[in-house]
Order: sequence, then structure tokens, then C-alpha cells
Amino acid sequence: MPNITVFDPKEHHIRLVGSMKTADSIDYEFRAILDTGAPWSEFSDQFLLAVGMFNSQNPPPAVRPSLQTQKYDKLVLPQVKICGHVIPKMLVYISHFENHWGVDALIGLDFFRRFRVTVDYKPGHLLTDPL
Amino acid sequence: MSQKMTWKEMKKAFPDEWLLIIDYERDQFGNISSGIVERHSPSKDEVYKLPAVKKPAAFEYTGESTFRGFRDHAEHHCF
Repeated sequence: MPNITVFDPKEHHIRLVGSMKTADSIDYEFRAILDTGAPWSEFSDQFLLAVGMFNSQNPPPAVRPSLQTQKYDKLVLPQVKICGHVIPKMLVYISHFENHWGVDALIGLDFFRRFRVTVDYKPGHLLTDPL
Repeated sequence: MSQKMTWKEMKKAFPDEWLLIIDYERDQFGNISSGIVERHSPSKDEVYKLPAVKKPAAFEYTGESTFRGFRDHAEHHCF
């Protein structure tokens, strides 16, 4: 049986809440957008820094014209939960997000490679089950 | 700051700000319905700066999201 995740179809995007468990077993929740335009999932460097998963002394690179994010590193997160599925050792890209996006992750096509995703838009249901 | 607030109260008290919220509850869509605002600022860096809170926490933004994704790219470069 697939997991059913409810989203608000009145929003401009499919916004989800995910959670990440850190090495010291603390769960931090993050706002994410399901983004089929992103080949890989991306997490904001500010969020990763805040939860102690990333430590960079260098300022993030400038975002190139026409892009809204700039991927500049990769990281394996110990455990992420998205749509009720626990994903161990999830490889994500680290990006600098625009401050006013209001989200800290873009869930990209790598998620679709691991899960069958069915969007039932009108009621706002996201059905997901592992492939 | 340790008072539990509803999301509506948070949006009114901290418009267009980033919040770090603890002891929160969410509604059916995953939106915060209530919680305790541990940090708040118009600056995302201020709210996300270390030290991390050593308990389950959520980050939220009370303003309108400007995310437009690939559509933004397409509008500027394809039409």
C-alpha cells in the first residue's frame, strides 16, 4: 500500500514537510517543494549549517544568472524522512537558496527514481511507494 | 520567549520573518498550527546561526514564497 501524503492544492507548489535525523538523533523538520525540475534533491546550506550537518567557512558561490540555486557541494545525510519513507544515507546537493523561497529543500527526480509517485492533485494527495 | 502561539498569531507578530519553532503541532497539510517561537528575524542567517537547538525544531517563513522554479527560467529564456 502506498503512503498517502496530504498537500494543499491551493498552494502554488506541492509543499511538503520532511524531517532529518542527525547523528545525535535529533529530528529537525524542513519545508520542501516537490520539484520535477531538479535532477537531484537539494538542501539549503543555511539549514544544514543550522543543524550541524555542514560546516563551511567560505561564502557560498554567487548564483549564476537565470538560476535560482547554485549547487556547490554534496553531502550524505544519515537519515531523511520524506512522505513517511525513511531514506538512510541520502545523497543530496548543497545549494544556496534565495532567502524568500521559504523552503530548505527541493525534492528532485532522485526521489522519483526510488519511489513510485502518483499525484492526485484535486484532493491534494501524494501517493508514494518504493520501487 | 516561551509562549505558545498559533500560526496566525506568529504571522501577525512576525511578518515576513524566519522562525525557529519548537514544541509545535502541524495540521493535515503539514503546516504549523501552533508552537513556541524560539528565534525570529527577517534575516534567515540570524535564525539559522549556531548554536543549534538540541531538540526537535522546525524552520518556517511567514512571508510569501518567491520560489518559481523552472517556470521562472522558462519565462525569461524561452518566450
